[in-house]
Amino acid sequence: MNLKFEEFQKSNSDFKELNKLRVKNFKKFETLGFPTKKQEHWKYTDLKTIINNNFEELQIYKDVKKLKFNTKLLIKNFEHNSVILLNGNFIESNFNFEDKKKVSIKSLRSVLENKNDFEKIKTYFDDDQNSLISLNHALVNDGVILQVEDDYTFIKPLVIYNFFDETAEEKIINNKVFISLGNNSNLSLVDFYKCENSIKYFNNTINNYTIKKNAILKKFTINADLDKSYYYNSTKVKSYSNSVFENFILSLGPNLIKNEIHCNLLEDFSSCFINGVMLLNGDQHHELKTNVNHKYENCKSSQLIKSVLLDKSNGTYQGKIYVDKSAQKTNGYQLSKALILSEKSEFNSKPELEIYADDVKCSHGSTIGNIDENSIFYLMSRGLTKDQANKMIVEGFLNEAIQTITEPDIKLLISQLFRERINKVNL
Amino acid sequence: MLNISNLSASIDDKNILRNFNLKIKPGEVHTIMGPNGSGKSTLANILSGRKGYKVEGQVFYEGKNLLEIPIEERAQKGIFLAFQYPTEIPGVNTNNFLKTSLNTIRKFRGLKELDSLEFLKLVKEKSKNLKIEEKILSRQLNVGFSGGEKKKNEILQMTILEPKLVILDETDSGLDIDALRIVSEGVNSLRSANRSFLIITHYQRLLDYIKPDFVHVLVNGKIAKTGSSNLAQELEKDGYENVTTE
Repeated sequence: MNLKFEEFQKSNSDFKELNKLRVKNFKKFETLGFPTKKQEHWKYTDLKTIINNNFEELQIYKDVKKLKFNTKLLIKNFEHNSVILLNGNFIESNFNFEDKKKVSIKSLRSVLENKNDFEKIKTYFDDDQNSLISLNHALVNDGVILQVEDDYTFIKPLVIYNFFDETAEEKIINNKVFISLGNNSNLSLVDFYKCENSIKYFNNTINNYTIKKNAILKKFTINADLDKSYYYNSTKVKSYSNSVFENFILSLGPNLIKNEIHCNLLEDFSSCFINGVMLLNGDQHHELKTNVNHKYENCKSSQLIKSVLLDKSNGTYQGKIYVDKSAQKTNGYQLSKALILSEKSEFNSKPELEIYADDVKCSHGSTIGNIDENSIFYLMSRGLTKDQANKMIVEGFLNEAIQTITEPDIKLLISQLFRERINKVNL
Repeated sequence: MLNISNLSASIDDKNILRNFNLKIKPGEVHTIMGPNGSGKSTLANILSGRKGYKVEGQVFYEGKNLLEIPIEERAQKGIFLAFQYPTEIPGVNTNNFLKTSLNTIRKFRGLKELDSLEFLKLVKEKSKNLKIEEKILSRQLNVGFSGGEKKKNEILQMTILEPKLVILDETDSGLDIDALRIVSEGVNSLRSANRSFLIITHYQRLLDYIKPDFVHVLVNGKIAKTGSSNLAQELEKDGYENVTTE
């Protein structure tokens, strides 16, 4: 594979320091290549093979002038603020519902073009063992920087639209998103992915969130109806005292996604809740990896992941809870339940607890099974067809996770998308 | 309505029903009593279409070969089985389930499907008549229901779906007097000239509330004796031991 990095470099007019960082990171990526299953964290997703088998010639996305997105793709009947990324390029933002003095929004591109601004985020370009992070450092061209002042509660949710159009075909697109919530601030964020056509591209996004004291960030990741796309999404969260991070993941769409969430509970009484639903068919391959680090005492975390696998699909949940020796009174909980509904589908579950403190409450569970025949019989004996019975049971099974969503409007939106999908699959 | 002739059923080479015969006419209430292991539940299972049995003989329902009718169509054509152990189905809302079930059956019968409002009105009325607390309907189907609640839920389904042939499989087992009364009232309120009942039970107690037209005693997979409702009282007094197969 030849990503033609030199060409990319020339087309960018980066200042020296950024250019140096890009070169260094690209070299690192070249040495390591895409991750393979020989690496522990990639055991269930052999990305190198997947990329080689599915892309003829992956290329770096070149800027296209006058990009226009299709306004029909915006979510309807749902009041929200928005940021629009098209093929990873920051197109526009709209914060009409909010007090603009309290919210600062910038495109990452504008920051990468300004030496002084870049200084402030430079530390986020640090070394990583993960070659995709190095690749992202080397190739990132745009993204979002959102800063919310202290004591500000968003009136309406913010949707970050990640749209892709035909110019993204066979391209790799690298983004970074930075969100920082000040003390006592509150934001509900929908990370919404959508591609109108069946375009094949690889999107590599790194999210960095900072949640200050008493702040609440609720994030809803929606991958509803993309079919040919490939994703790597890594989220790093720093949680300070008494803050809350909630992330719900609706994983229905793309061909491949590896979603990583690393949440660091750095101060007391901070908490992290990650719940999600996977409903996969065809050749889809989705992996969720959560890594909750309890670094301080009295913090709380939980994960509930429910998955249904059809056809030849492949799902994985790797969930790690790490409890530092100083993190006494930790409360950690994790549960993964999967239904495998075809002989050729696969689900891998790898719960990990690493505990160094002695006064903690941590539990985990994982089940993989099939639909209970008695349940099907019961529903059919009430007149439902086998298909209706299966759908009702699967919907009920996954619904348990959807019911955990604490924002009513967003719950409705997610339930709708979920129902549309479940009506389309062949059970 | 239902005509069973020479029905034999076995599971894993174990014979359960042997040349079983039974005829039920529209409007009749039949009770089948019998000791444990006599084949009562197997009969209910076969009539409702549960798989796993090796079946011989004939069962005609409204003139059609019942054994060839798929499970869901049996329900659509008016057969209702009240389960001995109703299945718990996590995540499935009882109301949604019942609405889907009712509308599937109505559609089959050529009736207009009910919208949410019409359905709720119907459920409200029926559950009030049966003194069933409405709140159990917003819960997950049978999940965390007490034994009594599960059976009441079965009876509520029965009254809403308005079947032609009702099979109650030991619905009275494990019920307290109040729940037993609710179940019986549900059955009695549905009795009509076109609707038949097959009540499977262990105990005579239910028959204090529901007066059957016929009582059959099932022993070793065969009807050993048939009589009027007085037979049940004799059985209560003397036990099953005095009834032997011919």
